[in-house]
Amino acid sequence: MIKASNISHFYGLEQVLYNLSFEIKEGGFVFLSGESGSGKSTLLSILSTLLKPTSGELLIDGESVEGIKNIDFFRQSKVGFVFQFHYLINYLSVYENIALAALEEKKQNINKILEELGILELSSRYPNEISGGQRQRVAVARALVNEPKVIFADEPTGSLDSKNSQIVYGLLAQAVKNGTTVVVASHDMQIEEYSTQIIRLKDGQIL
Amino acid sequence: MISLKALSKNPFKSLLIFSSITIAVMAIFLISSVSQGVIGMYSKMIKTDGDIIITQKGISDTFFSNVDISLLEKIDKLEHVTSSYAMIVGASPIGHIPIAGIYGTTANHFSHYKLSSGEYPKATEVILGANLAKQFETMDVNIGSKRFRISGVYSSDIGFEEGGVVMNIEDAGALFNRSASFILVSSNTPNEIDNIVKKISNLDSEIEVKTTQNFVKEYNQFKIIENSSFVISTLAFAMGLMGIASVMSMIVNSRKEEFGIMRALGKSRFFIIKNLFFETLIMSVSAYLFALLLSLGILAMLPHIEMLQGYVNGTLSLSTALYVLASTLIMALLGSLIPAWVASKTDPILLINQGCA
Repeated sequence: MIKASNISHFYGLEQVLYNLSFEIKEGGFVFLSGESGSGKSTLLSILSTLLKPTSGELLIDGESVEGIKNIDFFRQSKVGFVFQFHYLINYLSVYENIALAALEEKKQNINKILEELGILELSSRYPNEISGGQRQRVAVARALVNEPKVIFADEPTGSLDSKNSQIVYGLLAQAVKNGTTVVVASHDMQIEEYSTQIIRLKDGQIL
Repeated sequence: MISLKALSKNPFKSLLIFSSITIAVMAIFLISSVSQGVIGMYSKMIKTDGDIIITQKGISDTFFSNVDISLLEKIDKLEHVTSSYAMIVGASPIGHIPIAGIYGTTANHFSHYKLSSGEYPKATEVILGANLAKQFETMDVNIGSKRFRISGVYSSDIGFEEGGVVMNIEDAGALFNRSASFILVSSNTPNEIDNIVKKISNLDSEIEVKTTQNFVKEYNQFKIIENSSFVISTLAFAMGLMGIASVMSMIVNSRKEEFGIMRALGKSRFFIIKNLFFETLIMSVSAYLFALLLSLGILAMLPHIEMLQGYVNGTLSLSTALYVLASTLIMALLGSLIPAWVASKTDPILLINQGCA
């Protein structure tokens, strides 16, 4: 599903990732673990095509990321994201936030997903009118709407209490059951119980 | 439409952009309109009253010109001349008013000033422009070192005249120690104007004779006003437009996180640029129209502000309005689209992180 070969990355003169090579199999629940500053968020950003690595090659679903002609369509159709701080657009309603990410043919799924996540009644509200846990559920719904091949989540429960964290992990685990690959970067060890593969990072290197 | 949503859900930012563009556009309008208005008033005063103007040779300003008034008799006898009159223009303290325009004219020109009360002035009498008259309740007024009786009040659609005083040319001559500032000649035969100019020129070697059209084009004071207003307007224009561009640029930069999220969700650069284009277009056009309305309102009020005595008038030409519209749109779009384009080329995660910073 994902093959990383010799991935290195620099921020200015500072090297944060060192020649990382690994594979992620389709349908897995992958846990990128490590302390703060270990490089897990940078690696997740590279894997999810949101950041170009300084060097190395990345294949997703057999396709080299460098060679993808329409990266926007690739991101929209094959990849879903869940960020720590949800990153919903504040001037769009819950429904509109999800519709913004949805492919035209997937827009009919929005209400169904909102219902499954228990937030259908919030669809006309704005992000500042709902709780932190509800916002993160909306972010998960936005990631699921196009039924992507892979979902990347960066500290998805970092700003949530344990109850809401369990809900989010449960939703991601359900996505794995439905055939989606999920890659989560977190320092929350609770994830281990859901994960099928763990990649441990320390100082930009795989342990 | 996402652009309208973005504007309506961020009212403070929208108001900030709207106000900045409105103020910048108003500054441009008012500065250029007032300078255009000053030139317009004086040239209208001269153009509407005659076809030919006679001033003293080699004098750059009518205020310093001295023409022999006895030329009037000779000019009136020339073929195709229908009328002529002499005028002295000057400025002097009037009562408690520190400075106002004084127009001394021959009696055959009094009818140009429409009386709203009283009668035209005889010797040692004056009529006051409507704006100036509001500031006097007495029947007499001191002009320079002399005292004049106020015989009436007149109105004029030329601001300079509304705030001035009209008197007999003999009284004005005594005040300003000259015969006449200039003589204006009218003819009902446009084809003969050039011949009349030549004939009048031959009457006196100390005079300069021009058609009023040419005089207005070549008048030094107008050139000075035009040049200085051009410099001031250009500076105001540049500052206003740079203000618009920098406000738009700041607003776009403050939205980097949003653009990063959109790029992460697979939205194209074109999608972001297109929405920002419409937001900027809606904002700049509405701010422009609001500024235009406010400016027109202020320009309409200016002649009625007593303190200004009607001397400050504004003329907003269609060409200026269109030029400002085009420039406003270009600068607003450049100010927003260039940083947006640069931002859209950045890796989405860097945009999101920059937005958080």
